[in-house]
Amino acid sequence: MISLNYRDSRPIYEQIKDGLRKLIVTGALRTGEKLPSVRALATQLSINPNTIQRAYNELEGEGYIYSVPGKGSFAAGNTGADEARRKELTEKLRELAAELKYLGVTGEELAALVSEAPEISGQNREKEETP
Amino acid sequence: MIEVRDAVKKFDGFAALDGASVMVPKGSVYGLVGPNGAGKSTLIRHLTGIYRQDGGTVRVDGEPVWENAALKARIAAIPDDWYYFMQSTVRDMMRFYKGFYPSFSTERYEKLKEVFNIDEKRAIRRLSKGMQKQVAFWLALSCMPDYLILDEPVDGLDPVMRRQVWSLVMGDVAQRGTTVLVSSHNLRELEDVCDHVGIMDHGKVLLERSLAQLQDNMVKLQVVFQDGVNEVPPELPVLHASKVGRIHTLIMRMSAEEATAKLSTYNPLLVDAVPLTLEEIFIYELGGADYAVKDIVL
Repeated sequence: MISLNYRDSRPIYEQIKDGLRKLIVTGALRTGEKLPSVRALATQLSINPNTIQRAYNELEGEGYIYSVPGKGSFAAGNTGADEARRKELTEKLRELAAELKYLGVTGEELAALVSEAPEISGQNREKEETP
Repeated sequence: MIEVRDAVKKFDGFAALDGASVMVPKGSVYGLVGPNGAGKSTLIRHLTGIYRQDGGTVRVDGEPVWENAALKARIAAIPDDWYYFMQSTVRDMMRFYKGFYPSFSTERYEKLKEVFNIDEKRAIRRLSKGMQKQVAFWLALSCMPDYLILDEPVDGLDPVMRRQVWSLVMGDVAQRGTTVLVSSHNLRELEDVCDHVGIMDHGKVLLERSLAQLQDNMVKLQVVFQDGVNEVPPELPVLHASKVGRIHTLIMRMSAEEATAKLSTYNPLLVDAVPLTLEEIFIYELGGADYAVKDIVL
């Protein structure tokens, strides 16, 4: 479910974080769904369990997952992500927008793109709230 | 916990270990790296009780290792030149290991048989080098050790087998809290499996950190300064600088945030912080200790 790229310059725990974030944001891991255990992921990816624990801890700090002692980690709903992460992503979007503008994409087209972006984890939350 | 303090070992006056100190916390995976002849294997032979140090202490769980059979029964090791009896089969060696390790698990031995897929009735000396290494892992893991000491363990293993043995070892670390010390030159691989790293050179341990600390304490930046600034401002504490076109690549000993903040005062056009790989850290840390790739044309 998570693939590591050994040529990637990002540290392994960052890659794990990105992989899990993507699964949560796209809805592949639904709100409240259990994440693989540290041990299972360590054997599956052949990497250090403490590295995985670190990724889990940081994701918890960012609000993507929550852990229940003795049970494991679970995907959190859209709880309003961490401020630092929001800033990081905004910065990334700014960079991407600058590059797209350089390539001749207009501001209106960019705005349309942004407003068309799917809100998958938001829908998840609504589903959870309806019953 | 493995604790080596100021270990000295001399061979005919040559100090292979010259005051080496190592601290391996319980349940961690410790990567021992260093150039050839740094003393890694010598240190490992002290941890397995093969050598006796001339000075300093070598302790595992607070007890000296030398001639301590009860302690050594909890330590399994795969040395770089794994020994087996000349005519022995895998099964013969299994019985030999079983005699030395009270914790030896026949159940696990049988389970691992399927993983390694080697006929246990074959003579070990007729197996290929890589298969012999597999047998070494098979037996060491069957011992259910508290400490696993590996000297360049995956040399000669094919890529699938590498992943396989690391997966088994990592499973043990996660489940049983096994402490692992591994020496290797494959830094890319160590980065995945280790959480602590010690860099050795000339019989000493130059630096010993957790991997997270190492990666957070050194950063590589790609910087393009404003027009008119062609040189890196001299007041910046730069460990290493190089330049291609307008792009400066700086190595700095601080966290990425700190470095970006320091550079932002110069209003650069571009600042991109890239985490360093273990290989780069190794090169820059040892670069100060007169170790670098020399430009020699033959």
